[in-house]
Amino acid sequence: MSTVAIDAVRKTVLVDFAPAEAFELFTARIASWWPVRSHSYGGDGVTAVVFEPHLGGRVYEVSDAGEQDWGSVLEWDPPHRFVLDWQIGEARGTEVVVRFSAEGPGARVELEHRGFGAADPRNRYESGWDVVLEPFVTSGSD
Amino acid sequence: MDALGDWTRRQIFEALRNGPRSVGDLAAGLPVSRPAVSQHLRVLKEAGLVSGRKEGTRRVYRVDPAGLAGVRSYFDSFWGEALDRFAAEARKETG
Repeated sequence: MSTVAIDAVRKTVLVDFAPAEAFELFTARIASWWPVRSHSYGGDGVTAVVFEPHLGGRVYEVSDAGEQDWGSVLEWDPPHRFVLDWQIGEARGTEVVVRFSAEGPGARVELEHRGFGAADPRNRYESGWDVVLEPFVTSGSD
Repeated sequence: MDALGDWTRRQIFEALRNGPRSVGDLAAGLPVSRPAVSQHLRVLKEAGLVSGRKEGTRRVYRVDPAGLAGVRSYFDSFWGEALDRFAAEARKETG
């Protein structure tokens, strides 16, 4: 199993919203602020960004090409914290943790994107790879 | 960010994240030929995501930590920009 050490990405932003409002803006109302043009597969062709606000919920974009998953909700603890299983590009299988806490009259939002060096936990076991792909093997080369 | 836009390439990269493998190992687990696997590895190598080294009679591929650092760097900017937009929307709504 790969254990390459790569630091997590950490970002903090302060907003004049109560934590619960900030949580809702980040999740259920993601479409009102997400920069789709630069932060999506479909760019200008994206017609919706959806964050299903519950455990196991999907986060995805919608375009003419259909739905494209970005991740899913691994942990859901409103208005404090949520964790996503992130599935975009080379970062497939990493985790995004976002925490919301009171800061003066507003909220502090801390984002951590971690696991760049780790293997996808769903493929953690060496044998898992072979088992998963067995049905696809078409020839006995070598 | 489209070196992994291809399904097979993504499977190859996933396999290498679990440990080093030869072209033969990779091809044995996928419904594609060895030349096709080699072609995909070439794209991953050019993107800096994997590196190859000759071990005995075979070449073994592994995830390149420098490439992962590049992925991390990409998402560092990605989230920086996204949170700027998030904060801007909050500012707009709170007047």
